[in-house]
Amino acid sequence: MRKYYRVLLELAKLRFHNLTVFRLDFFGPFLVDGSLFLIQLLVFGAVYKNVEAIGSWESGEMIIYIGTFSLLNAVSMTICFFGLIEIPGKILNGDMDLYLTKPISPLFRLTFEKMNPGSIPLVLMSICIIVYGIRAGRISPGGKNLCAYFFWLAVMVILYYNMEVLIRSMSFYILSNARLDQLEEACLDLCMKLPGIAFYGVFKVIFYILIPYGIMATLPVQSLIGELTWRGALLGISVVSGFSFLTCFVWTRGIRHYNSASS
Amino acid sequence: MKMRKYIEVAKVYFKTQFAWRADVIFNMIFTISKILFAYLLWHLVFERKESVAGFTFHGMLSYYIISSFLSQLEMSGGISSEIFHRIRNGTFSRYMVVPVNMEGYFVAMETGVVIFYLAFDLIAALSWVFLFRIEFAFVTDAAVWLGALCLILLGLFFMVQFSYYLGILTLKYQGIDTFLMIKNNLMALITGTIVPLTLFPEAVVRVMKLLPFYYVTYLPSMLLIGRCREEAVRGIVIMAAWCLMMQWMIRLTWSRYSRKYDGVGI
Repeated sequence: MRKYYRVLLELAKLRFHNLTVFRLDFFGPFLVDGSLFLIQLLVFGAVYKNVEAIGSWESGEMIIYIGTFSLLNAVSMTICFFGLIEIPGKILNGDMDLYLTKPISPLFRLTFEKMNPGSIPLVLMSICIIVYGIRAGRISPGGKNLCAYFFWLAVMVILYYNMEVLIRSMSFYILSNARLDQLEEACLDLCMKLPGIAFYGVFKVIFYILIPYGIMATLPVQSLIGELTWRGALLGISVVSGFSFLTCFVWTRGIRHYNSASS
Repeated sequence: MKMRKYIEVAKVYFKTQFAWRADVIFNMIFTISKILFAYLLWHLVFERKESVAGFTFHGMLSYYIISSFLSQLEMSGGISSEIFHRIRNGTFSRYMVVPVNMEGYFVAMETGVVIFYLAFDLIAALSWVFLFRIEFAFVTDAAVWLGALCLILLGLFFMVQFSYYLGILTLKYQGIDTFLMIKNNLMALITGTIVPLTLFPEAVVRVMKLLPFYYVTYLPSMLLIGRCREEAVRGIVIMAAWCLMMQWMIRLTWSRYSRKYDGVGI
């Protein structure tokens, strides 16, 4: 454990040095994703100028939803996104050899080697959006709801990470990950704009269970506003557990399947 | 004679698209995410309301079908990133040595690609109309059709100019990639492809009417569903004026900064 901690510190230090060399790129992810979520706020601001509620959610709940999705995205961008997106390339050109021969978990290194401190302002911005949503919606969450919100947030950070690893791990079995990336992008784009309460019927099955981006920010928000049922909570835990096992299985099988293409 | 070489460029890019058949099919399929967003969001809203900003449920979905079709056709974003990357790595010379006007080359390239995608995007749009059982609202007046067509063509041309202009700005400002990504995010909002611009406050819409982006996707879509007829002529005039202004800006920028390119990358 101590070894991993030391590796983590070293990776963070190296990454920071690297980012300060390309200073212009430092805040790039913050500016790009920050603009994306600010646009979502403007869009729903415009929608709520014309309607009082979308389903059972008024503007406050929707702002919290946007802030929560932004927070999940920001945590991923800060910690692991830039490392994980390189997995398909490393598998394809054989660079994964370098990770397998090191005396630490390859996934650990891939997760933390491209941390991006430039995305930290995005975390802060997301927190501001959530606080603004709570105030705008005059929501007064009790201690219990706040604890539930943080719990679900932590659980959904895991799910978000699982999905990122799972999609990239498919590169162990297929030549090009382009279609899966396209699918991920389309689903994320849809679910960051549309809360899970909008899904029904077959769409609910797809976006709650099969490609579970629909529950990622929905369950934390529902827990904060006291709308989350036991059934919903059970579904959430089952989905996250299921995807954790699946990711673990696909990754470990993938590593065994890897045959060092470049050597 | 002069036009022939540009027609050849368009033909080459038209044919090139056949090499990427899977891309074409998946691009078609993934347009569903825009329609699905609209369908689910507005389905929920219209459960409680009869109309929103003058739209009925099916009118709203018709708007999304048309605006999604038009935004799929608008593929000029690749031009700025192509120019950006080639200037950065020093291979922009490839375009400088070709005996054609560079902007004309990109216009021809875009024309070839758009013509290729036209039929596929139309098939996708029609499929979503049937799949989501949309009572499609569509104008039959020939004059409105003509006005919308003029706006669409001017809009596509303007977007090529705009992307080309942003691309050549790399000659002066080398790190514009972040700005290009922010631009892409912003374009979805200001062209009205996420939500119709009429939902925004009056003052915001008034400002947007002065900008060209209002006329690229939003106004043609509104015209084709039978709304905003009175804005058509004014829209064409404003859009034409923006095209002329953009042309002037391109010439000015190119004459000022083209000498900065040294062909060895940055």
